[in-house]
Amino acid sequence: MKWATRAKIHIDRTACAWLIRRCIDPEAKFVFVADPADIPVDATAFDIPAAELAHHGPDCSFETILRRYDLTDPVLWRIAQIVHEADVDDERFDAPEARGLDVVLRGLSLTLADEQILEISGPIFDGLYEFFDQAQRLGREPA
Amino acid sequence: MSADIEWVLLSYRLPREPSTPRISVWRKLKRLGVAQLGDGLVALPHDARTREQFDWIAAEVEEAGGTATVWLGRPATARANQDLADQLRQARAAEYRQLVSQALQALRDGEDRAAARRRLQAELHRIGRRDYFPSAERALAAEAVAAIVDSDDVTVRGDDR
Repeated sequence: MKWATRAKIHIDRTACAWLIRRCIDPEAKFVFVADPADIPVDATAFDIPAAELAHHGPDCSFETILRRYDLTDPVLWRIAQIVHEADVDDERFDAPEARGLDVVLRGLSLTLADEQILEISGPIFDGLYEFFDQAQRLGREPA
Repeated sequence: MSADIEWVLLSYRLPREPSTPRISVWRKLKRLGVAQLGDGLVALPHDARTREQFDWIAAEVEEAGGTATVWLGRPATARANQDLADQLRQARAAEYRQLVSQALQALRDGEDRAAARRRLQAELHRIGRRDYFPSAERALAAEAVAAIVDSDDVTVRGDDR
């Protein structure tokens, strides 16, 4: 399937793309558009204002996608808290990792093209998933 | 310098009731530190982030049954442009000055210093996120918060000020 979002991706769009590929559509192809009018008709838009898979109420797009696709994995919801705080920064959650991850991704957005950011950040989010998965199973943070 | 600023504006109308979406929008605008130009018209210096924040709020307004448009533009005169920038700078400066007095208060009160420092650092970060023009007050506030150190050093650092 084809998925479209705004170009110059930051934390929310990067995390959404990772989530889509990992849990919804392993073959996902991503298109980055400068203007919402350029979204291909056969693509599913995400993190674009007025799209279904976007911010709704207090939720950032990552949280919206978890809800719309009934993804209830608590590890994904823990990552959602980080993405939410990095993106929205409204102190709804206690996620001290957010600021660091946000800066890392903002730095990547200054040096790399959107496709490259997805390549680099995929393993970062895989690692975060593994970390919080082990933490939940162990009842403490892994070494 | 300020005369070159381009602004992103949000004009919006929301039904008076229910009040929840109104409050949510109002809180978000406050957190962004917008300049209030009129009833339902707010502005921020234009960059990718401020533009995106207004886009989201516009979508939220429409979802709540209101109408909203995001605009790009600048006042017709350099003077008005400067005044708008000054207005925002002064609003942040006032917040920073308040933070400085809170920091001094925390030192005087003998409040748990680590807790006070965490609380004020969070506040400093919050203000920093909506601070679009550098001001001397920002550095003073950062310095005042950094001066809240463990009790051993407090007298020395406090006396410096």
